[in-house]
Amino acid sequence: MIPPLQGLPDEILYIILCHCHPCSTVSLEQTARRFSTITREPLLWRFYCQSHFKFWDSRHDIDEKLNCPASSIDWKELFIARYHIDRETTQVLNSILANQTGRIRKFHTITSFGYDAKDTLLTHIHSESEEEDYLARRYYAQALLSCLHRSTAIPEWSRLRNGEDVSLEQALGAFDLFLPESGFDDLKQITSNLDDIVTQFQRAYPDVRYFTPRQKALSLALYLRISNLTGIDPGRDYHRLDHNFLGIALTDPGHNSLPLISAAIYCYVAQCVGLKAHPCGFPFHVHVILRPPPGIDMDGNLLDEGDIGDPMYMDPFRSDKETPASDLQRQLSFLGASSNEQSVFLQESLPSEIILRCGRNILNSIHHNSEAPDLHLATVDLVSAKYSALWASILLANEPRSIVLRDYLPWLMEVFATDFTCDLYLIEQYIVPLFQDMPEYEHILDSLHVMRTVDERSKQIHQRSEEHNNVNYRVGQVFRHRRYNYRAIIIGWDSECGADEQWMRQMGIDRLQAGRHQSFYHALVEDKTFRYVAEENIEIITPHVTDLPQLLVSAAGKYFKRWDQTTRTFISNIKDEYPDD
Amino acid sequence: MSSGTPSSTITLTSSDGVDVTVERQVAERSVLIKNMLEDLGDSGEAIPVPNVNEAVLKKVIEWCTHHKLDPPSAGDDDDSRRKTTDIDEWDQKFMQVDQEMLFEIILAANYLDIKALLDVGCKTVANMIKGKSPEEIRKTFNIQNDFTPEEEDQIRRENEWAEDR
Repeated sequence: MIPPLQGLPDEILYIILCHCHPCSTVSLEQTARRFSTITREPLLWRFYCQSHFKFWDSRHDIDEKLNCPASSIDWKELFIARYHIDRETTQVLNSILANQTGRIRKFHTITSFGYDAKDTLLTHIHSESEEEDYLARRYYAQALLSCLHRSTAIPEWSRLRNGEDVSLEQALGAFDLFLPESGFDDLKQITSNLDDIVTQFQRAYPDVRYFTPRQKALSLALYLRISNLTGIDPGRDYHRLDHNFLGIALTDPGHNSLPLISAAIYCYVAQCVGLKAHPCGFPFHVHVILRPPPGIDMDGNLLDEGDIGDPMYMDPFRSDKETPASDLQRQLSFLGASSNEQSVFLQESLPSEIILRCGRNILNSIHHNSEAPDLHLATVDLVSAKYSALWASILLANEPRSIVLRDYLPWLMEVFATDFTCDLYLIEQYIVPLFQDMPEYEHILDSLHVMRTVDERSKQIHQRSEEHNNVNYRVGQVFRHRRYNYRAIIIGWDSECGADEQWMRQMGIDRLQAGRHQSFYHALVEDKTFRYVAEENIEIITPHVTDLPQLLVSAAGKYFKRWDQTTRTFISNIKDEYPDD
Repeated sequence: MSSGTPSSTITLTSSDGVDVTVERQVAERSVLIKNMLEDLGDSGEAIPVPNVNEAVLKKVIEWCTHHKLDPPSAGDDDDSRRKTTDIDEWDQKFMQVDQEMLFEIILAANYLDIKALLDVGCKTVANMIKGKSPEEIRKTFNIQNDFTPEEEDQIRRENEWAEDR
């Protein structure tokens, strides 16, 4: 009798192998000659590549490979390469979690894998809360993924700066990639969302290709308004931060967007149905300018040779009617614009100008929010949004040596140094060269050098010895501030106030009952800021983890492995700094 | 004349000449038989199943009876079904048979074109391979190593990447 497994026909062995892990398949390959062919079948390894990995770095051109005959690509080799990257990503992440030294370098190792690292990072982001370090694991995997997304977004703006051809929707979508919660996987997704609108519009107007340019322009504006894809719903605050993001405008059910974003959506669809449509640089409110194709006017009438038809203007944010050019001119005259300026304001804007403007809008919204903060409306992470706006503003500043550029630099460096130190390589690659031959140049290089050195150095160790007997609380305990009432987590301590004299004077430390000679604590506060608090102001609380804001618990992953329900404290992941806590 | 009502029965003849009567709805889990009945009409005569012996046929019918109300599987090339090696509890018990029977069931499911059963069978085999070294696989399935030492060494080196899991 033939041993059964060997006796099975190839087609059945193939199905069995499809159910096997690739590592099992290569084990089977090594048992006998019978399995040599079927275990190396290119279709099988293509199947493994597709079923095991969702994201591929662009250098693989994976879509193109999938269109080739399976046998023309070494799918097994590709699988093995990805398998190694997955393992290395996990190893390096584990080492990031294991201690605080060299994290900038380790981050760079992972982000240099590009999107090949994304599948593994997503697995870690979704770690189960049974894992002993789930908070830290989720936090750092998310930080890595965000860094990866920024490494995709920033080159788009950089290419735009270098005068390369970048489409407006990709350049605007780059802002969304800065937001960890946007859920966007890549810029292609933005384009595909827009393409869906084009399809729906064409379905609603099957005869659109027979329309005159003017009819097309008007029916599109009408369609977008009826479908609620442009503008802002009545009653919503115009300045909400989320109105600045193209990706959010496309995917959020409310589809609310500022004029700039509404215009971008309009222009994309308009161009797909054969209109020459661009955002126009009108001040305060982005409009759309449409021009007729050569030889005819907007109503499709033939023109004399050499004549050029008049453009028309639309305001898709506000209306489905045409905006007469005379209205716009009147407004500009009212604002005191010279005729020279007027002609500029009524022209097409370059994508780089629109991106710059979008960056400015975001900073405006943030400023507005800081005056009237409403935490319930904070759907977008403020720091990430601000960071994206600063990057865009610096990269696309119209004059390399402009004052704007130098104004934004300290601001960007501050946000970078506080929240995004792992972007050091991005700063080095894209920001530093802009300042060559400028006084700031050496200064930036110096601070990057310092950051790197500090990152590679082991943390100063705070052991508990006799002189620390007055430090009553431990890293990981949750407290309520006696005076300000906020909740926070202890992430470090000093046996007496370690801040400088000026800070102490400013804060009135000596007016405290126990003054500066009491223990002080570094704390991560529920609004994600950091504070330095005297022991007498600390009232330890023992809440349930569900009583704490979700944002605080996720942010705790920066310093803690997990929540411990028995002690109702966070378990430290900074033992290399506070070994006894 | 049968009108294809659920209660009607048909007869199958196994390769060893045994007639087995079965509900038509159960037999129609087999795409081969379903098509045959549709093409030829139900003449009332026994349908020969030349590749499947009585023991295996009964086992297959047992499976089809248990699954007779399952929704039809979605399409031939449904890749997603291949990703998981989870098998539901009843099927797991059902597949607790000796290896010879297991492979006979797989071959019968393939011949009779019963995709879901073929899949369960193949998953069961995949689970038997899972996590094993080449030597352990050889032992499990009684496979003779016919490589020369040089060949074996080369294949092992090619696949070293998969070893340290």
